[in-house]
Amino acid sequence: MESSALKEYLKSKGATLVGVGDVSRALTDEIIHLNRGIAIAVNRSLNRTTVDLLSRLQELTVEWLKERGARALAIPPDSDRITDTFVSRLYKLFSHKTAATCSGLGWVGKNGLVINRKYGSKLTWATVLTDAPLQADLPTTHSECGDCDLCVKHCPSGAIRGRVWSSGDPLREMVAYEKCRSLKNDRLLLKGKPNCGLCVTICPYSRNGRKKVEPCGVCVGS
Amino acid sequence: MVDETKKKEILEKLKNGVIQYDEDACREGAQEAVDLGMDANEAIFEGLVAGMEEVGRLFEAQEYFVPEILMCADALYAGLDILKPHCQQMDLGIKGSVVIGTVEGDVHDIGKNLVKMMFDVAGFTVYDLGRDVPLDKFVEEQLRTDSDLVCLSAMMTTSMVGMPKVIEKIKEKNPECLIMIGGAPTSKELADKWGADGYAQDASNALKEAIKMVAFLRKLREEKLKK
Repeated sequence: MESSALKEYLKSKGATLVGVGDVSRALTDEIIHLNRGIAIAVNRSLNRTTVDLLSRLQELTVEWLKERGARALAIPPDSDRITDTFVSRLYKLFSHKTAATCSGLGWVGKNGLVINRKYGSKLTWATVLTDAPLQADLPTTHSECGDCDLCVKHCPSGAIRGRVWSSGDPLREMVAYEKCRSLKNDRLLLKGKPNCGLCVTICPYSRNGRKKVEPCGVCVGS
Repeated sequence: MVDETKKKEILEKLKNGVIQYDEDACREGAQEAVDLGMDANEAIFEGLVAGMEEVGRLFEAQEYFVPEILMCADALYAGLDILKPHCQQMDLGIKGSVVIGTVEGDVHDIGKNLVKMMFDVAGFTVYDLGRDVPLDKFVEEQLRTDSDLVCLSAMMTTSMVGMPKVIEKIKEKNPECLIMIGGAPTSKELADKWGADGYAQDASNALKEAIKMVAFLRKLREEKLKK
């Protein structure tokens, strides 16, 4: 089944990127039949509008697939998860990173986030799994971070390990998440907001290729 | 007097809402039922549960898989949340309370949650201990609540071995209590060997068992109504 029609349709409704990946090797028994992952990304500002748009795009995708007689399971954006439903138990069985890399939309950067060549890590992701025999895109197999280690150097919690991802070793831990979390907790107590996101903004791919970092009082020296 | 055609329409809406895992339709149907002053028990059993019975059939026929089942369950709950406060206490002639949980060492609780849901729907008081529950906790909880049914769930052979210990302890303290076990590694033979009263093999069978139970309760209820 051609996937270009679905891609065009979703882009016309506001999606920044849409990819279809063969995700069979990452599936557990409960969802083993849903071997196509549709990765949908919206260029964010991470606010309510982005998340609402993504949810809407997901609904449209599910409708589109259902109309064609296929099954679908929508995995909502991480920041918009209701956890008290039955179906939410399945969300953690599949990560958006898998769908994104399997559909060739990016690699997992040293910062542990999906990096797309054009948009860097400034994307919010949602996934729809389906058994529709959609033509799959070529997967990303290797990191394109190269020897850049801006995020490693500048992470205020020192959580980024500087490891290089490849699709052959997808579960490798890129970031010491407990360090990242404890920094965010501290900030939450101090400022009422956990926001950090430096590993997103510092990435040259997120800044249209600009490698030079302007010194700034907040991040330098912390 | 409630309009019969309208009533049928609402029941159909609730039933199809569950089957097509359409939470909005279930909510809408439930609200209409309440607004119309329909019997909430009837809306639950003839509408929502009737839908879930069909879902059980679809699951058996492998038309539906685990994700669909879970979405259907969510739709059922969406309707149930609205209808439940309007339910009259159902008098089924049995004391409906059940202790349920996944045994120590096991965190798999999808099957357990589905069974729990059916008990919920049937109007049982459910004491859900959650997952990875220490064995003695089942015994304590049974004694505390004096429930007449205890449901043990496990998905791994390593955690299943705790089941006979729980069964023995409960039966020793309270021989009247019924025990049902379920989960992938369990079997009818094991249930018999360990002295459990009921058995369900996996999520689909647990669901079937639970549906059977609810269907049976429904029959009891209907017979009671006729009298």
